[in-house]
Amino acid sequence: MKSIFKSKRLSAEKVLIVCAFFIAACSNQQQSETPADQIQVAGTMDAELTAPPNVPLPVRNREAKKLIVNMEVLEKEGEMTDGVSYVYWTFGGSVPGSFIRTRVGDEVEFHLKNHPDNKLPHNIDLHAVTGPGGGATSSFVAPGHETQFSFKVINPGLYVYHCATAPVGMHIANGMYGLILVEPEGGLKKVDKEYYVMQGDFYTKGEYGKTGLQPFDMNKAIDEDADYVVFNGKVGSLTGDGAITANVGETVRLFVGNGGPNLVSSFHVIGEIFDKVYVEGGSMINEDVQTTLIPAGGAAIVEFKIDVPGTFILVDHSIFRAFNKGALGMLKVQGEDNKTIYSGKQSEGIYNPEGGSIQEMPGESDIPEEAVAQSLSDRMELGKQVYSRTCFACHQANGEGIANAFPPLANSDYLNADVNRAIDIVLNGKSGEITVNGVKYNSVMTKQVLSDEEVANVLTYVYNSWGNNKTEVTPAMVKSRKTGH
Amino acid sequence: MKGIGPLLLMICFFLCTQKKAFSQSMVKIEGGSYIPLYGRDSAKIIVRDFLMDVYPVTNEAFLSFVKEYPTWQKDKVRRLFADDNYLNDWESPISPGEKISLKAPVTNISWFAAKYYCECQDKRLPTIDEWEYVAMADETKKDARKDSTYNQKILEWYETPRTHKKEIGNTFKNYWGVYDMHGLVWEWTFDFNSVLISGASRKDMDNDRNLFCGSAAIGANDLMNYAAFMRYAFRGSIKANFAVKNLGFRCVKDIQDPSKNNSSNHKID
Amino acid sequence: MKVYKLLILLCVLMACSSKSSETENASSNSVREVLPDMSIYHLPAKWHTQNNEQIELKDLQGDVLVMVMIYTSCQAACPRLVADMRNIESQIGGQLKDEVKLILVSIDPETDTPERLKAFAKENQMDNDQWLFLQGTEASVREFANVLAVKYKQISPMDFSHSNIISVFDQKGVLQHQQEGLGVDNKETIAKINELAGNG
Repeated sequence: MKSIFKSKRLSAEKVLIVCAFFIAACSNQQQSETPADQIQVAGTMDAELTAPPNVPLPVRNREAKKLIVNMEVLEKEGEMTDGVSYVYWTFGGSVPGSFIRTRVGDEVEFHLKNHPDNKLPHNIDLHAVTGPGGGATSSFVAPGHETQFSFKVINPGLYVYHCATAPVGMHIANGMYGLILVEPEGGLKKVDKEYYVMQGDFYTKGEYGKTGLQPFDMNKAIDEDADYVVFNGKVGSLTGDGAITANVGETVRLFVGNGGPNLVSSFHVIGEIFDKVYVEGGSMINEDVQTTLIPAGGAAIVEFKIDVPGTFILVDHSIFRAFNKGALGMLKVQGEDNKTIYSGKQSEGIYNPEGGSIQEMPGESDIPEEAVAQSLSDRMELGKQVYSRTCFACHQANGEGIANAFPPLANSDYLNADVNRAIDIVLNGKSGEITVNGVKYNSVMTKQVLSDEEVANVLTYVYNSWGNNKTEVTPAMVKSRKTGH
Repeated sequence: MKGIGPLLLMICFFLCTQKKAFSQSMVKIEGGSYIPLYGRDSAKIIVRDFLMDVYPVTNEAFLSFVKEYPTWQKDKVRRLFADDNYLNDWESPISPGEKISLKAPVTNISWFAAKYYCECQDKRLPTIDEWEYVAMADETKKDARKDSTYNQKILEWYETPRTHKKEIGNTFKNYWGVYDMHGLVWEWTFDFNSVLISGASRKDMDNDRNLFCGSAAIGANDLMNYAAFMRYAFRGSIKANFAVKNLGFRCVKDIQDPSKNNSSNHKID
Repeated sequence: MKVYKLLILLCVLMACSSKSSETENASSNSVREVLPDMSIYHLPAKWHTQNNEQIELKDLQGDVLVMVMIYTSCQAACPRLVADMRNIESQIGGQLKDEVKLILVSIDPETDTPERLKAFAKENQMDNDQWLFLQGTEASVREFANVLAVKYKQISPMDFSHSNIISVFDQKGVLQHQQEGLGVDNKETIAKINELAGNG
């Protein structure tokens, strides 16, 4: 290199280019010449460990080292969602456990410490370890004790670690998993933001949202019938104040793991396409991916450049898990709009196809735990809730309807003329031409899937609002219309 | 036990039994047969009649013991017999201190300490088979292992933190009249260090991995008994000189011949 | 008088000793000075050898001990453990052989009587002075296994399952090295034995 510099006169720019080539060549050489298991370590350092969603600093160009990892196992009560607590078993006090960041050739000296207040023995099986049990045998440790073992990381990639003490499933179901990253020589390409996200499924004695301290439910776990499917250990860990952030123009890298114990994740970010996915956390890179599958006990690295601002939702696209069980997180992006890439809503109108009929949703119609109105004001209150849920979109907040599409309910002669007809319409739907307050409407209203109580409440609300005739509709009246037909 | 062994033992019993400030009441456990989680050839184990302490040994009782036998005070005990955690919640070698209830089970006790405590009263530690035999009883049944609500209850305890600070007698009285088998502390057993998958000796290295991923299920006869798995896992993680904050003990005694220190109750005829 | 002192000492060791008289204190202190806290020579049990002599572990003080737990009716792992032991023995430096004792402790004291151990020793050509076979009681064997962290369990009337561990102790009875598994590379074990014996 020196000789090259001496023998040739080069512009600064050229020097840089040559340098870059040289460095690339140099690192290539090292990669090809030294097998990972024979890389010499230079010095010792303590590993930086981070709780999710943060990750330690990248390795960049550092040499392979002896890396000391001090991991403490803590059994502790935490919040699963509002009002629901759970005794988590954790690596480092968080679920998922502390993120460990290494590079190929590092020799990890792993200290596993089982807190004296813990009730159970634990160990750790790191998928990045080449050796029997992944370290589980060597790390088995009783409460109030510490074990130590060492391993050399040979294969680059993103790996899951977890507790493997019997009953294994229970230790994992209680939160004992995390990620260890092994970067290749020279490190992963620089990005602007990096985050740590890990999915897990939880099994509690009470169903989703049942308040109080919820114990682990063994039978549900064996049946793989999860009450909670969450990112980073609890419902809402990545929403609101917990949301991860980025700016327009930045590239984001997510280290995504799935602790299981049972469920496979269909990881998706709503409104983003992954520019790159390190499939299953390995060396194969797939590009332009919408949803990537992350097996239980597996991981993936996803990268994407952010072009527009807004909130992007992280989900398990087995979508009921996102909607009903908590598998939902947020990436909040600030910056300038780019209308070419995404316009936002440009116009809004009525879509009313000729003769179109809206189909009733198939399935069950029972609505659990119904509130029963004890008085007219109760009925009004409950009716208002039904109205805003069911009727509001078409008939509008003050019953004014939408011109030429949906008839008004306010001051409605059609309504006030016949209460039974009104009940029938709610129960059975209505299509065809009608005249309301002198205006003709030809529209379709679907049959509403409501209980008698709810029909009574919502109609009472409508009759007692916006200048109507103050009829009170009772569940009995609704029922009689049903049996009458 | 030939030669001067019995003589020695007798002298020791004489020394030990002079004072019994720390003795406690026992109940009779009628023997029987059952299949434990880890057994012998998956066959039934015969348990003979024996007496068992009604409660785990308390701080109060152990305090009397260490006052009587200073070699077991925490500043004097040999590390071969007890690690640094031994009685380390106690304020001093001869006082648990204000923060610790005398009526709470003594914990941070090594196997050696527990064993000698029992022997000094002409008792012994229960075998795993004996302990598990008593532990499968709920309030009304000798064997409640198939009762899922009972299992769920035990699992819930195993997850509840810091139960060792509660006083003895806090949990239910089981069929035999024994308290606190579940819900307070783990308990030492004489042969805790014996859990192996069946036939491990023919599988080379597997024997020391018997409680880990995958192989955990081998040899166990009831894959649904998570509570028992947790107990066996716990036993597998400890060594005889370990002292652990959630680990206490209680003693048992043979009925037939109290002078004979016979602990082999698991022979099949 | 000697016997009396020995008895007292043993009782001290069994830790049943109580409000100690001065003599007891003195003997207990002197033992403590000589032996490290972690020495297995604190174990009080009595053992029978294959020659039907009665010994305590502390009688073995001053030698490097290589110990393994087996049972003679074992058909599977034990013959291989015995072979491993013989292999180790053959690699101990010639001049150091006198400093080392190789000890096989039976985990089946009921079956493995001194007579049976003697026959086993002969059969396996392990009957010179270097080899020692020990029979204890169920309790003393369990205690000893616990010190070595050797797990064993009777799994049928004839068979035990057990960990395959060879342990090396220094001249003061402190555990210095353990080799786990069957037919494993015993380089480290032998190096340790030779090192300890050389220092002795």
